[in-house]
Amino acid sequence: MGKDLLLENITKRFDKVIAVRGMNLDVKEGEFVCFLGPSGCGKTTTLRIIAGFEFPTSGIVRYNGKVINDVIPQKRNFGIVFQSYALFPHMTVAENVGFGLKMRKVPKTQINRRVDELLELVGLADQKYKRPPELSGGQQQRVALIRSLATYPEILLLDEPLSALDAKIRVNLRAEIKKVQSELGITMIYVTHDQEEALSISDRVIVMNQGYIEQIDKPIEVYKNPKTKFVADFVGTSNFFSGEIRGNVLSDIETGVSFKISHEVLSSLKSQKGRVSLSIRPEKILLFKHAMNIPEDVDRTNIIEGSIEVVTFLGVIVRSLIKLKNKHLIVDITEKDFEKSLLKMGDSVSLYFPPDEFLVFQNQGGRA
Amino acid sequence: MKDYEEIKIAPPSSIIPDQMIAYIIVAIFGLFFLAFLILPLVQILKTSFVSQARFTLYNYLEYFGKARIRRSLFNSFYVAGVTTIITTSAAFFVAYALTRTTIKAKGFYKAISSFPLMAPSVVQALALISLFGRNGLITNLVGGKWDIYGPTGIIISEIFYCFPYALLILITTLSAVDTRLNEAAESLGAGPVTTFFKITVPSARYGIFSAAALAFNLTITDFGNPIVIGGDYNVLATEIYTQVEGMQRFDLGATISVILLIPAVMAFVLNNYFTKRNYALISGAARPFLRPSSRSKKAIFTSISIAVTGSIIVIFLAILWTSIVDVWGGRSGESKQILKWLTTFSTRHYDFAHRGRSISVVWTSLWISCIVAFFGTWLSLIAGYIVEKRKPAGGQFLYLISVLPAAIPGLVLGLGYILAFVRINWLYYKASIIILNVIIANFTLGMLSTMTNMKNIDVSIDEASTSLGADLPRSFIRVIFPLSRVSFWNNMLFFFERSMVTISAVIFLVSPKIQLASITIIQLIDDGYIESACAMSTIVVTIVVAVHSLFFILFRRRGIKLI
Repeated sequence: MGKDLLLENITKRFDKVIAVRGMNLDVKEGEFVCFLGPSGCGKTTTLRIIAGFEFPTSGIVRYNGKVINDVIPQKRNFGIVFQSYALFPHMTVAENVGFGLKMRKVPKTQINRRVDELLELVGLADQKYKRPPELSGGQQQRVALIRSLATYPEILLLDEPLSALDAKIRVNLRAEIKKVQSELGITMIYVTHDQEEALSISDRVIVMNQGYIEQIDKPIEVYKNPKTKFVADFVGTSNFFSGEIRGNVLSDIETGVSFKISHEVLSSLKSQKGRVSLSIRPEKILLFKHAMNIPEDVDRTNIIEGSIEVVTFLGVIVRSLIKLKNKHLIVDITEKDFEKSLLKMGDSVSLYFPPDEFLVFQNQGGRA
Repeated sequence: MKDYEEIKIAPPSSIIPDQMIAYIIVAIFGLFFLAFLILPLVQILKTSFVSQARFTLYNYLEYFGKARIRRSLFNSFYVAGVTTIITTSAAFFVAYALTRTTIKAKGFYKAISSFPLMAPSVVQALALISLFGRNGLITNLVGGKWDIYGPTGIIISEIFYCFPYALLILITTLSAVDTRLNEAAESLGAGPVTTFFKITVPSARYGIFSAAALAFNLTITDFGNPIVIGGDYNVLATEIYTQVEGMQRFDLGATISVILLIPAVMAFVLNNYFTKRNYALISGAARPFLRPSSRSKKAIFTSISIAVTGSIIVIFLAILWTSIVDVWGGRSGESKQILKWLTTFSTRHYDFAHRGRSISVVWTSLWISCIVAFFGTWLSLIAGYIVEKRKPAGGQFLYLISVLPAAIPGLVLGLGYILAFVRINWLYYKASIIILNVIIANFTLGMLSTMTNMKNIDVSIDEASTSLGADLPRSFIRVIFPLSRVSFWNNMLFFFERSMVTISAVIFLVSPKIQLASITIIQLIDDGYIESACAMSTIVVTIVVAVHSLFFILFRRRGIKLI
């Protein structure tokens, strides 16, 4: 057994709002996990409970087998990186990085050595005697990162560390954080509302919504096999339909269109009774100029006519907004295919929905 | 990262959790306020309502039964009412001139206008006496037969006392209210006068109400000016003093204190309410470029500004001049001689021993003010930090209780101290009681300015320090304090100044053993030594201005902006 962090049935209530509801989680030593969710979903509160800044209303926080609910933040030795960097503006970069060691009464020569080594790690050795306001945002966050690492923390907590930075710097620094993590083998818990960030950086993603955990999985699983409608919607883009299942056919209430669904997909439902949600990713829908271009061997039930309303170029792919009766669907095809098809706005098109590319969700009780 | 485990580090040495330290500090402050704020107030209530262990309204019947005493209530309202109207209007016009017109020398007018803040609230009346009193310079020059003692004298003095406070509020208001409204009105055909009364005045209404409430509160609670220029015209504050010091009627003094508390607290609450409404209204409004004012507009507002600031200069010049000439004013009918007298200088009025007083009161005031400044600043910084940043249970209560002193007239609190601590040897008529009283009486503003400063420090800064192993005291000393230097030094200046110039808070607390400069001014006037009173005022004002300038120079060099 490594030094695991366990959250057991954690609930956090603020006056009238419940921020976290009965959360259970097991973070393994050396693992990189991400809390992903919209603002107000409870992810930052969970991080602050782990840090010791908030006391859970109920539940147990366990680290390395010991209950740490009552351990004060100073003694947890978890490093924290804040969204606002939170560097001390009146101290130099070196003093900032050495602050934690100074608080632990480490001799000066050792502090200096450690500070130099960390500045080297992130390539800021020449900025040692500057003060934070003289640095760029990216440099400041690098300083904040190594400051939190200086005391050899056992877990590093990062609270939206990159969301105040420009897109390009964000991607670079993201890679740098990942590199530091794999070099040091330190457990990292990372909070973000940016799905791209979460999917690209972590070993496991914890998708949260309204205080609940919606899904804990590897990034690719979260994308390919979302467990709930919320995850399908929040992570990536999905088209949704909803209605009741009859046999293996669902007819959408809004448009009246029927879709045939494969048995493998349907078998993921606990019960086929009641209203069911159906989703499909934009890149899974196949777009044809004429229905006759569609191969003979596919099920004709799942071919539906629509018209292109808006076309947006997104680089490698082209995203089209397709009007389907009173509804709009998002369909992605590669830029190459789009050019070949000679399609343009206003054209009527045929869409094919492969029966095994759907995902189905129970509308109620979808949460474990 | 090969030598990852090389440095051996012990966990941080703090033993007491921050939460507990915060609770303890809140508890200590709670007890402090309980002893030196709540207890004296309770004593006031008790003395006024309880006689021989029984609840009684006898004192109130006596108050309203005696016509002479009863009149003080009406007098107070009359004086405060008239002062409020005149001060607020004058301050509004000057604030308008300083924010909405393109007149010259705005900085000069502003600096002069804030000058009365650095003087005891008695110099206004003192200057009036030396100019318009029975033997005043102007009285003699024109052979005037007027009597400055009475309501008119009080009102004129109080106008100049309250003016800078009202002006500050109105400058803030008018510099933030959106001037585009005015431009819109003018483009729709409204003339300048219509625009002024239909747009400018209404949009600044909460600022006007807030300034008026503050002026009312300051006037009705002021003691220094009415005691020296009121003559037989008694107001609530002077009547408290007469009953307590003259008649030894502590019960009646406490009763009048309760009566004075009601309008004072109401005006304070109104001021607070309007200030909040005002800020809600002005925040975020755009401030486009100020168009050059017309020539006539400039002329009007320049004369208003000159009239007001000129009067303030005259007040301080009169004080200074009176103190350094051999004979001031001379005798009536001998106006030809006056110019000669005015240029015959002498230092004899600074020989306080000759007047039965001592220059040592200045030293007493100085060292007491230094102690007040030191402790007041630290206490308000710690309390503000704990309440704003650590938010412990009970913190909100501590906040509310620390706002209370601003609502309590200094005179009432001082009387409460005498009633509550008469049996406590280390307090009664000692320097300690003065220090505690001045700190408490001025704690509200110190605490509020600290909290404003704390709000500007990112919450994460404190948490970062905590997560790196610093406990509350070390976070405070190493991180929060260095980031609060500006508000720290501002507060130190504030507490020092208040302590140097306060009269009403300490009038009951001084004694022949511990005497203060500001109180000595009143005693000198009482003894008829107007010139020496001016000399003492000059010393006090000079010290305050010198310290202010010293802070200004020292900190501007270090790039720290002071008020």
